[in-house]
Amino acid sequence: MSDKVSLSLCLNGAEHALTVAPERTLLDVLREDVRATGTRRGCDEGNCGACTVLVDGVPVLSCLTLAVRMRGRAITTVEGVQTGAELHPVQRALVRHGAVQCGFCMSGIVLTAKALLERNPSPTAEEVRQALGSNVCRCSGYARVVEAIVSLGGRP
Amino acid sequence: MRYAEPETVEEGLALLAAHDDARCLAGGASLVAMMNAGRVAPGMLVSLHRIPELSDITETGDGLWLGAMCTHRGVAAEPRLRGAMAVVRSAAGQLAHPAIRNMATLGGSVCLADPHTELPAALVAASARAEVAGPGGRRLVPVESLLVDGFRTSLQRGELVTRVFIPRGTDGAVGHHLRFSRVSSDYPTVSLSLVLVMDGDTCRQARVVVGASGPVPLHVDAADQRLVGTRLEEADVAEAGRLLVRAATPLDDVRGSAEYRRMLIPRLLGRALSQAREHAHV
Amino acid sequence: MSSHPKPEPVGDVVGASVPKPDAREKVTGRAVYTDDLRVPGMLHGVLLGSPHAHARILSYDTSLAKALPGVRAVLTAEDLPPVDIGAVIKDQPLLARGKVRYVGEPVAAVAAVDPTTARRALELIRVQYEVLPPVFDAEAALRPDAPVLHAPRGPGHPNAASHIRLIEGEPDGAWAKCDVIIEDVYETPAQQHIYLEPCSTLAEVDPDTGRITLHTSTQTAFRVQAITAEALAVPMSRIRVLVPRVGGAFGGKVESTNQPITAALALATGAPVKMTFSRTDDMTMMRSRHGARIHMRTGATRDGRILARQVRIYFDTGAYADDGPFVANIGSYFARGPYRIPHVDVECWCVYTNKLRAGAFRGFGNPQIHFASEVQVDRLAEALGMDPIELRLRNALETGEKWLGGAPVESGTLHACLERAREVSDWQRRRQRAPPAPGKRRGIGMAAVAHVSGLLGSSATVRINEDGSVNVSTGAVDTGQGSDTALAQVAAGALGVPLSQLHFSRPDTDTSPYDWCTGGTRTTFTVGHVITQACEQVREQLFEHASAMLQRPVQQLELRPGGHVGVRGEPGTSVSFGAISGYALYVAGGPILASARWLFPAWQLDTQRTHVEGLTSMGNGFFVFAAQVAEVEVDELTGHVEVLEAWSVHDVGRVINPAAAEGQIQGGFVQGLGYALTEELLWKEGHLLNPTMGGYKVPGALDVPRAIHSVLLEHPAGPGPFGAKGVAEVSLVGVAPAICNAIRHATGANIRRIPATGERVLRELLARETQGGH
Repeated sequence: MSDKVSLSLCLNGAEHALTVAPERTLLDVLREDVRATGTRRGCDEGNCGACTVLVDGVPVLSCLTLAVRMRGRAITTVEGVQTGAELHPVQRALVRHGAVQCGFCMSGIVLTAKALLERNPSPTAEEVRQALGSNVCRCSGYARVVEAIVSLGGRP
Repeated sequence: MRYAEPETVEEGLALLAAHDDARCLAGGASLVAMMNAGRVAPGMLVSLHRIPELSDITETGDGLWLGAMCTHRGVAAEPRLRGAMAVVRSAAGQLAHPAIRNMATLGGSVCLADPHTELPAALVAASARAEVAGPGGRRLVPVESLLVDGFRTSLQRGELVTRVFIPRGTDGAVGHHLRFSRVSSDYPTVSLSLVLVMDGDTCRQARVVVGASGPVPLHVDAADQRLVGTRLEEADVAEAGRLLVRAATPLDDVRGSAEYRRMLIPRLLGRALSQAREHAHV
Repeated sequence: MSSHPKPEPVGDVVGASVPKPDAREKVTGRAVYTDDLRVPGMLHGVLLGSPHAHARILSYDTSLAKALPGVRAVLTAEDLPPVDIGAVIKDQPLLARGKVRYVGEPVAAVAAVDPTTARRALELIRVQYEVLPPVFDAEAALRPDAPVLHAPRGPGHPNAASHIRLIEGEPDGAWAKCDVIIEDVYETPAQQHIYLEPCSTLAEVDPDTGRITLHTSTQTAFRVQAITAEALAVPMSRIRVLVPRVGGAFGGKVESTNQPITAALALATGAPVKMTFSRTDDMTMMRSRHGARIHMRTGATRDGRILARQVRIYFDTGAYADDGPFVANIGSYFARGPYRIPHVDVECWCVYTNKLRAGAFRGFGNPQIHFASEVQVDRLAEALGMDPIELRLRNALETGEKWLGGAPVESGTLHACLERAREVSDWQRRRQRAPPAPGKRRGIGMAAVAHVSGLLGSSATVRINEDGSVNVSTGAVDTGQGSDTALAQVAAGALGVPLSQLHFSRPDTDTSPYDWCTGGTRTTFTVGHVITQACEQVREQLFEHASAMLQRPVQQLELRPGGHVGVRGEPGTSVSFGAISGYALYVAGGPILASARWLFPAWQLDTQRTHVEGLTSMGNGFFVFAAQVAEVEVDELTGHVEVLEAWSVHDVGRVINPAAAEGQIQGGFVQGLGYALTEELLWKEGHLLNPTMGGYKVPGALDVPRAIHSVLLEHPAGPGPFGAKGVAEVSLVGVAPAICNAIRHATGANIRRIPATGERVLRELLARETQGGH
């Protein structure tokens, strides 16, 4: 039998008291326990990027992250990107540039782009492509996604 | 499954000693994927992320100590990994894709001993040594001898890797890692790690290691020696490549046939050498 | 068909890149996909896959699994109605019955209180098999002594799911008149959809009525309803299907996925059951594109007239026919290409093998045949010393000319596409080969593309509310490509109302009018057509009432932007939709609403002109055209191909939403790029070697061209809304041949098998070197 572990998950600035088995992934706990379903499950092996979240501002794959390891870490999911009714500039740009199709990759892409822009406010298209290296999009061919993110930095 | 977060190496060793079915959890990128797929189910996980010394990076006169819990992202961004040591930095920066580099660790790469990833070959090329802590204290083991087979190390039960020493190498040495993969985020079909010392146009030292072409990183002394003293002309590279190919034992898999890998080794060797020489000149 | 009136849209909403209304909920994570749903008491379903490619099932023992605490149901074929399903051939049980025919075929289903318990139960199910000899190659499966997968359905080889023959002219005699003949064998892979959202269904059963409600990720609510009813032997009226957001589909969710078996588990347990596939279950249990082997020979005269073509196609449909025979129809129908070739002999086999079923996937048989045809036409141009675009222009069908089988091309715009492609890609200059990077070779190639838009039935209901706002309902599923947005724009443009006053309903089989499916490049075209027809009837009703209210004859009235009916030439005289609706509701006439319905007319093949076997009519067929160009660099050392830049020129008839159309074209190009260069399911002894996204690699952001230029031409024609034509599949169809033609231009390597992996390209390069070429 599993030992359950109690922990407080700092998610989008709010503390969530949870008791979880150690083998549970952050993805699973977010979706099933917290019911924050914006983080998507696409492959469970770190190859699609749909489950990307930020841990202390850095993009990681929640499907490969055990929830018990998150004690004391600040987790940002797609639900925490928006401020009130106001979309984050990344979200606005993706909508405005018509980059959104089926949307299943979007949570991961929004977070990856947010982290990139916080580190590098004016990325080139090549830098955006490099940063998106973990995020599979099967609909768009990436063209409009890259265009949208680049548009925020004001560099070609 | 039980779970612990030791705060010192000694606590960690005690936990490993007390539980037969314990496994260390480093970055999780491989272990958790295997758990998700139902391929492993450790009875106990010993998470190493709260042991401060495992994330230290220390510079000495001879080289750099990288803590086992350093992420590939951190290694790739480490400016002190220059010269020969740059082979490790170069490999870490090319591994898998960004989110994996943000999670996966150097120690994890060493202990997983997956011959298809970047770091084993690069560490062997850099003549890196791993510090292994166990019940009897700590010892230094060349990474080359730590990796005994595909997914198998010479670590004993109850031991863990605490840090890896990357020797500075000869003055003027350059380290370089070249990978070929189907798409950018894939494992390499073949990778080449090398450390090179040039004296003008003449090769003074070479250490060439091939990844993804056998159960462990492929290093052939004779191939290195075939390059030393030459001007790295086409024939020299081809002959060194032949020696490597002769010793290679690649497999057929979804990334390419064994035969293709054998074709790639000498071809990529030539390219890796000329790229490294370009680095040497800047 | 060309006699359809093409009214101009009112206002400026048609042709505007309006943001998709669902984009906001998708970038904020609020969008609800099927797996996000949870209801009280919900169980989790999983399936046990077969370990054998071909085996007889001798016995089951499910007692241990049933005894595991938390397990609520374990089903095998013995617990299900003895029904086989299938779009064309009824050959497929929900769970293997008597036999398994591929590794991964579902053999048993479990519902348990949580996914872990359900998976643990799978390990406790014992199935005894007697292993049978398998067959994995389509041509081998047609040999007389090949293992047989299914009970014979008639004469002919039992492993042939379909066989087609189309002959025009005198192919046997024509070869002697050809100055140049090119012959090759082409092979294309089993590409997989890799929609990012794995298949998922939540099934609920009403405890009082037994009525089943399915929430599911699908391209078609109504087909799911029909297939589930058939499989479970219940009336369709007892099944309701709702479609949450769909995380991509591309043809993979055209037929049933896991809906019927999830419903069976819900019926068996009396509890709601959700089944969401793991990626590996999805990859091993669902479907792929048909792998194909195509023997093709084409001959031309010295002046560049293509005279004759002989084609033999083998489509590998795997263990079940699924949409295979339809795919084979399209593959055969396009085997002559968009060219006037007088002498043609096409033979096509769709064949069972012991592998995962193949079915619908963007392009539907056409990418396979385009690969062979467009690479071969390019080689023909080379042999003739002609520019490849010139050769295509010389042979391309024009408006009024006949397709293979005699259907007329109503809007023959291939010339326009080819000429624009030549211009925007700076073809002449790039054919001179700019200096490549060191160790690389550079080249540019192209493909002419034809596809069909439209098929089968659709309907729409349009209603004016009391305040003048509009509700539109169609039953069409938006799989992410943006049809909800485009169709709302069509309705808004037809009536002249702003999008803010129009609601477009999502599909619900209880309330939506019927739509066959989002597939076949049909939704904007076919559903758009019925929307414009319903709007036209609503307009008539509005005018009738406005005529009474304004005291003017109907002939003097016009629609005005903003939801008004006005008098032509009198800007001040108008009445709002709200006022008209109030009049209709309370004074005279009753509510303003209209429905329209349509079945796309099937084309009967002209048997006077064409010798036809196995294919009498084509259910889809408004021809659409495109031209695709790719510039590549080939690594001399590794054979790796990088696509530097791409151009995709499409006649879309009329642009409804440019951003959405361009985005879909760019996405189609990249799926085509994956098909051309990396994507391929690989088997060993019937076992999939790469049923993960790590093993099966789709292109990432670093693997795509720096620019994919989508160019939209507008030649309005046909029954689509305002002359619009479909674009969805077209954007993938020509990519592989364009890239492979570019590889040949760069290196001389004649790529006959895709994906053109580094290994295959390098081998071709080395073979050429030893032959002393290039």
